[in-house]
Amino acid sequence: MKKHLLTVALAAALATSGFANAAQTIKIGVILGFTGPIESLTPDMAASAELAFKEASDSGMLLNGSTITPIRADSTCVDASAATAAAERLITADKVAAIMGADCSGVTTAIANSVAIPNGVVMVSPSATTPALSSIEDKGFFFRTAPSDARQGQVLADAVFESGTKIIAVTYTNNDYGKGLSDAFIGAFKALGGKIAIVAAHEDGKGDYSAEVAALAAAGADKLAVLGYLDQGGKGIIQASLDTGAFDSFALGDGMIGQSLIDAFGKDMVDTIATSPGGSSDAMTNFISLAKANKIGGEGPYDGTSYDAGALIVLAIQAGGTADRASIQANMNKVANAPGTKIYPGELKKALEILTAGGEVDYVGATNIEFSDVGEVYGTYRQLEIKDNKFSLVKVR
Amino acid sequence: MSLLKGTRLRPFIVFGIMAALLTFVGISQSWGVSLTIINMCIISAIMTLGVNIQWGYAGLFNVGIMGFCALGGAAAVLVSKAPVTEAWSAGGAGMALALLCLVAGCCFVFILNRKWGKRPFRTTVTFIAALGVYFLARHFYDPASAAIEAVNPAKTGYLGGMGMPIILSWIVGGLFAAGAAWLIGKVTLGLRTDYLAIATLGIAEIIVALLKNEDWLTRGAKNVTGLPRPVPFELQLQQDSWFVDLVSRFNADLLAGLATDERAATLQSLVMDASGIFVKLCYTGLFLMVLLVLFTLCQLALNSPWGRMVRAIRDNETAAAAMGKDIKGRHLQIFVLGSAVVGIAGAMMTTLDGQFTPGTYNPLRYTFLIWVMVIVGGSGNNLGSILGGFLVWFIWIEAEPMGTWLMNVVTLGLDPASALKAHLLGSAQYMRLMVMGGVLLLVLRYSPGGILAEKSGHK
Amino acid sequence: MPEFIDILNALVLMTNYVILPALTYGSQLALGALGVTLVFGILRFSNFAHGDTMAFGAMVTILITWWFQSLGLSFGPLPTALLALPFGIAVTAVFLLFTDRFVYKHYRGIGAKPITFVMVSVGVMFIMNGLVRFVIGPADQRFADGARFIFKAREFKEYTGLAEGLALRSSQVITIVLAIILVAALFWFLQKTKTGKAMRAFSDNENLALLSGIDPDKIVRITWILAAILATVAGVLYGLDKSFKPFVYFQLLLPIFAAAIVGGLGKPIGAIAGGFIIAFSEVAITYVYKKFLIYLLPENLEPESLMQLLATEYKFAVSFVILVLVLLVRPTGIFKGNVV
Repeated sequence: MKKHLLTVALAAALATSGFANAAQTIKIGVILGFTGPIESLTPDMAASAELAFKEASDSGMLLNGSTITPIRADSTCVDASAATAAAERLITADKVAAIMGADCSGVTTAIANSVAIPNGVVMVSPSATTPALSSIEDKGFFFRTAPSDARQGQVLADAVFESGTKIIAVTYTNNDYGKGLSDAFIGAFKALGGKIAIVAAHEDGKGDYSAEVAALAAAGADKLAVLGYLDQGGKGIIQASLDTGAFDSFALGDGMIGQSLIDAFGKDMVDTIATSPGGSSDAMTNFISLAKANKIGGEGPYDGTSYDAGALIVLAIQAGGTADRASIQANMNKVANAPGTKIYPGELKKALEILTAGGEVDYVGATNIEFSDVGEVYGTYRQLEIKDNKFSLVKVR
Repeated sequence: MSLLKGTRLRPFIVFGIMAALLTFVGISQSWGVSLTIINMCIISAIMTLGVNIQWGYAGLFNVGIMGFCALGGAAAVLVSKAPVTEAWSAGGAGMALALLCLVAGCCFVFILNRKWGKRPFRTTVTFIAALGVYFLARHFYDPASAAIEAVNPAKTGYLGGMGMPIILSWIVGGLFAAGAAWLIGKVTLGLRTDYLAIATLGIAEIIVALLKNEDWLTRGAKNVTGLPRPVPFELQLQQDSWFVDLVSRFNADLLAGLATDERAATLQSLVMDASGIFVKLCYTGLFLMVLLVLFTLCQLALNSPWGRMVRAIRDNETAAAAMGKDIKGRHLQIFVLGSAVVGIAGAMMTTLDGQFTPGTYNPLRYTFLIWVMVIVGGSGNNLGSILGGFLVWFIWIEAEPMGTWLMNVVTLGLDPASALKAHLLGSAQYMRLMVMGGVLLLVLRYSPGGILAEKSGHK
Repeated sequence: MPEFIDILNALVLMTNYVILPALTYGSQLALGALGVTLVFGILRFSNFAHGDTMAFGAMVTILITWWFQSLGLSFGPLPTALLALPFGIAVTAVFLLFTDRFVYKHYRGIGAKPITFVMVSVGVMFIMNGLVRFVIGPADQRFADGARFIFKAREFKEYTGLAEGLALRSSQVITIVLAIILVAALFWFLQKTKTGKAMRAFSDNENLALLSGIDPDKIVRITWILAAILATVAGVLYGLDKSFKPFVYFQLLLPIFAAAIVGGLGKPIGAIAGGFIIAFSEVAITYVYKKFLIYLLPENLEPESLMQLLATEYKFAVSFVILVLVLLVRPTGIFKGNVV
């Protein structure tokens, strides 16, 4: 039985690689936490990645008019067992060419270690930021378009300290993202000579944040660093801070950036510094308007990185001329890094044309993608301030 | 269904259906998916066995399963990870001192509370003494934990473990859970029904909060990944010549028919598939052994004089007490035993995941879902609870593709551009929750004792 | 001795950061716990679906609020959601009566054990969990309009000249006032009306109540309607004060249960006390008393450290520690709740 199945699978695999010249349907897995703690972020993330797939399919340029079918699966964000089962289904049953995902660092590590890497499938995570993922033995199959937390902590600390703040209160979302970012931020801020008044974690998805804000406010700092998520506890913290008058000046990590924050509290927030991954170009703005035109939020913390993750997979397929798993892996760095024509959001058609003609591309995307030798983005950061009711760029660090 | 009632064949038939379902997944999706589901099914079945000991045998309503499961997971880290010597020298002594203070202090407060005769001041004095002990322990604890967590926080920042084979942690996990259950049982087993339920629910939250925030012990929210395995790694297998030989011998016919250049590529992809299946089969074997041992022990216990006594207590506490049975003692014993089994399963689960992520324990998945398994399978019946573990986990995983498929069928007639269709397709994931609720309600309605009800005729 | 102005500052500080937030949160918990405790008192089971009932009620109210807003209806400085609230309650009540008719009634008929009811409510919880996400999605929804503040911290400082600010939000006032009105009405109903008295009799001794000719079906219907009112109001007030997200409502279930148990299941007064005990302990135990003490203590005694009893990470655990401690001393809660 087993033998028979392997034969069938093999025949299918050969068929896809053997007829690379004909138009085909390429399956790509999208595995994100559609239920669970970050369920409110994921629909837009998935839609952003699928936007890139649609752009490529509609262009007619992808492998002689091939189209991409995204297959969604639920990582639940928290349940490693359910997530591995879902990934196993995508990889061994649906035979996806690559995976865009997963989201939370815990399930991402589980999927990478027990399903994706052993099966030789490329995984591009748009949001797993824990430094621990840099050192997994990934055989070059794990990529991420969200930079590791370590760098951002330094950047945000520099920006805050240079703005003249010498003492600050810190609150972080109590998971590996928040904890890692806050460790990096606190270390860097102390090294600069600053003082941390108090560090208090907050849990996402809880009912009330007045206790955290009360503790933070009483420690005697005027600025509050919020290293959390915009539509999770981080927003609750900011709301409670403004409501009680505890803080009106903030330092925000990338998870907190979004127009909805300003729409809700922009008038009350003064002297606020924020950092988000990305370059100096208007690429991110372009992406957001592209997303909006397709009825996607586009401003979630990981919408841009999700689009980039999807786009990179598409370009790697085109560069290799086949949707073969190994070929995708071999071409990821080539399409993401220089040399080549720089590609921005919405320019996938142009990129596919260049690749068909045998040229080279350097995908920049919404978040300034450039892979290091372990398949991670180095991360240049945009230092932002709130001006005229929107986040505007101060400088790139 | 009613035709089957009371026949001895019923267990064979339902387990046959279960096997058929898993085989169907193996054929229609892939054997990898099927085995992944089976492995978690077995772990779920062990957890349900543990809960069944408490609820089915003795009627103890424990809603703190999540806590014991997490303790088992912590055991996997503490047993298998290499010790971080730097952290030990930085804060080990301070932490030991803090622990000593806490234990000695607790004994002191306990004795004080017992010996202090006069009622009006007793509570106040105890409270003040407890506060004193708390601050004394904090005095040693604060600098020690800070020192440990400062040791390379991005990689370690905790004391590490014992560096022993991870399979030992299955026993240690059971012991951890048993110890915690003894303490909790001592405190809460006097409570009645719903009060006990919510108390255990709360204590489980406290346990998880401790594991999540005591970074010096378990790395907390930063997670511990890359745990060692009791079975080979897929990547290692793909390099091993014996394994490659085995796969090529197994597929000799297929390979012989190919050209030389194709043969290498084909072999590589075959080896890749086979390594995944091999590793999963190794786990299945190990887990099955544990399940069989525990099941045998449970069966023996249930049918022993002890088991009859326990069920007698469950069915009529007053009568059993009148006959001189030590009800409190038996309840504590059962609470500890059942929790230990859950702890074993928790350690096995963390071993299978290869990582310990304390932030991910939530009551919906680790308490209520397990309860659904017990009720659906049949409480009081060991085979029934195993079936519940298998069936409910299967549905939990397969509800998602089924939901997507269902939504596709439902929306087939709709205009592809319509907002309703997009909304329905986008909501397919939530079918999982509805399906689970639906299954639970249907079983409770039409087969209230569960699919395999308890034999002795009790509900 | 600290100066008068320092004492005043310390008081304002505590009011702003501890007393007001805890009062608001406590009112929301108390309303939720009242619903749980009523269902327990009459129907004799812990309703695990109550958190999701709150989400359902809030969801219906939000949808109606949006519709009103699109029609241009408004409630002056008050949030439009208050206009939509009665409709939300009505829909939720119909839904609960529907679940009772098709789900719970069967088990009452066969005289099922309380644990069966609990498991049935877990099933209902799963379904409502999915249903709410199905209709409105899992994302954060804002539906508050009207004036957010009555006065802001900065305005208070400028007006009084104190160093500490005090902010008062309209949602806080609405929450507390509405909670008081609702609780008063509920107690009046239970104490003074014939139906209310029948309900209390039913709760205290079911058999005796049945003997004296009380219609059990009516009692059950009224209970579900009251549960719908309490759950919807609690859900909407919570959503107005913070924001609406289905996942959070499930998370609220745990402190709500803790509140109901601490007070004693089946005791309305206990549910209210429990709600405030949980809310105040969460804030007060994790509060940093440094600034407060600096105001009150003479200069040479001023604390260096933060003076925090427990880190905020353990905030959530605090409510359960309180729960366990209370149960140790009084095994059925402070007000000696019912046992089934």
